[in-house]
Amino acid sequence: MVLTHTTSHTYSHPFPTVTLAFFLRYCSPQLNPFASHVLSTDTISSHVDRDTGRLHTTRIHLKKSRLPPGVMKLLPSSLTGGTTDKASYILETSIVDMREGWMATESRNLNFVGVLSVVERQLYAVPKTKPAADNTDVETRVVFRSRLGERIRDRLGQAQAQAEAAVNEGGGGFFARLGARGVQRSIETLASTKTQDQLGKSREGMCMILERLRQTGIMGVLELRKMASQRGPAEVAR
Amino acid sequence: MSQSLAPECNEVKERYDTCFLKWYSEKYLRGMGTTDNNECAALFKEYNSCLKGALKQRGIDKLLDEAREDNRENDATLMGKKK
Repeated sequence: MVLTHTTSHTYSHPFPTVTLAFFLRYCSPQLNPFASHVLSTDTISSHVDRDTGRLHTTRIHLKKSRLPPGVMKLLPSSLTGGTTDKASYILETSIVDMREGWMATESRNLNFVGVLSVVERQLYAVPKTKPAADNTDVETRVVFRSRLGERIRDRLGQAQAQAEAAVNEGGGGFFARLGARGVQRSIETLASTKTQDQLGKSREGMCMILERLRQTGIMGVLELRKMASQRGPAEVAR
Repeated sequence: MSQSLAPECNEVKERYDTCFLKWYSEKYLRGMGTTDNNECAALFKEYNSCLKGALKQRGIDKLLDEAREDNRENDATLMGKKK
C-alpha cells in the first residue's frame, strides 16, 4: 500500500540562489528556525561529472523522528532496529545541472524502513513558460510506504491458512486482514499528514534563507553562521 | 553550520562546508569550475576519513549499502526524466 503526495510551488528567486538555499537550508537554527528538528548534516560525497558538468552530492541528515514516541514504543524492536533513539537518518542525493537549469533531489529515510519508507523527490527548474528569470519552479513528490502491515498480513496469512484447512470459513481471516491494513493505513496517513505540515515549514525555511541571501549574499550568510557557531552550541536552540 | 553526527569531525566539517559553499556560489553557479571541485578535495578527504569511522560505528555504512542497491533503479528514473 502506497500513498503519494505531489505539490508544486514557485519561488520568486532566481534558480542559482534557490539551489544554494537548498544546500544551506539546515545550516543554522539562526538562519532557519524551521530546521530545529535537524540534529546533524554530513556530506559523504560530492563530485562534478566531467562530461555533463553536473554536480552530484550525497548528504546524511539526522532528524528527529516523524513518528510520535507512542507509536515507536509499540513497535517491536525487530522493526525499529532495536534502537531506543527516536532519530532517523535521512539520505539526501542531489544533482545540479547549471547549464540546463535544473536540480533533482531525493531524500529517503535509512532506518525504520521496515515501519515506514518515505521518499521525497524534488525537481527545481527555471520556468519554461514565461521568460521569468527571477523565478524557480519546484515540484515535490512524496511517496509513503508502510511495510509493517504487509509483514503482519504475511504472518496472519500463514496462521489463517492452517485455520482454514480445519474450518472452511474465512471470517477471522477477513478481520485479521482488515486489522493489518488498518495499521498500515494509519501509519501512512499519520506520516503523510505530518509531512504536509513539514513541507509548509520547509518552504518557509527556504524562504527565510533566500531572503537572507538577497539581503547579505553568501558571504553575509557565512559570516552569520560563523558567529552563531562561535556563540557555542549551548545557545543554539534545538 | 549544523553539527556533524560525529562531534570529533565538527571542526573539519566546518572548514569543508565553508570551502564548498564558497566554491559553489562563486564558481559553480557562475559557470566556472564545472569540470571539477578540486579546491576543496583535500579538506573533503580529511573530513571523510574522520566521518568514515563514525558511520561504521553507528551501522550507517550498512544502511547506505542497502539504500544504494535500492536506489540504482531510482537514479535511472531521475536521470531518465531529464535526458
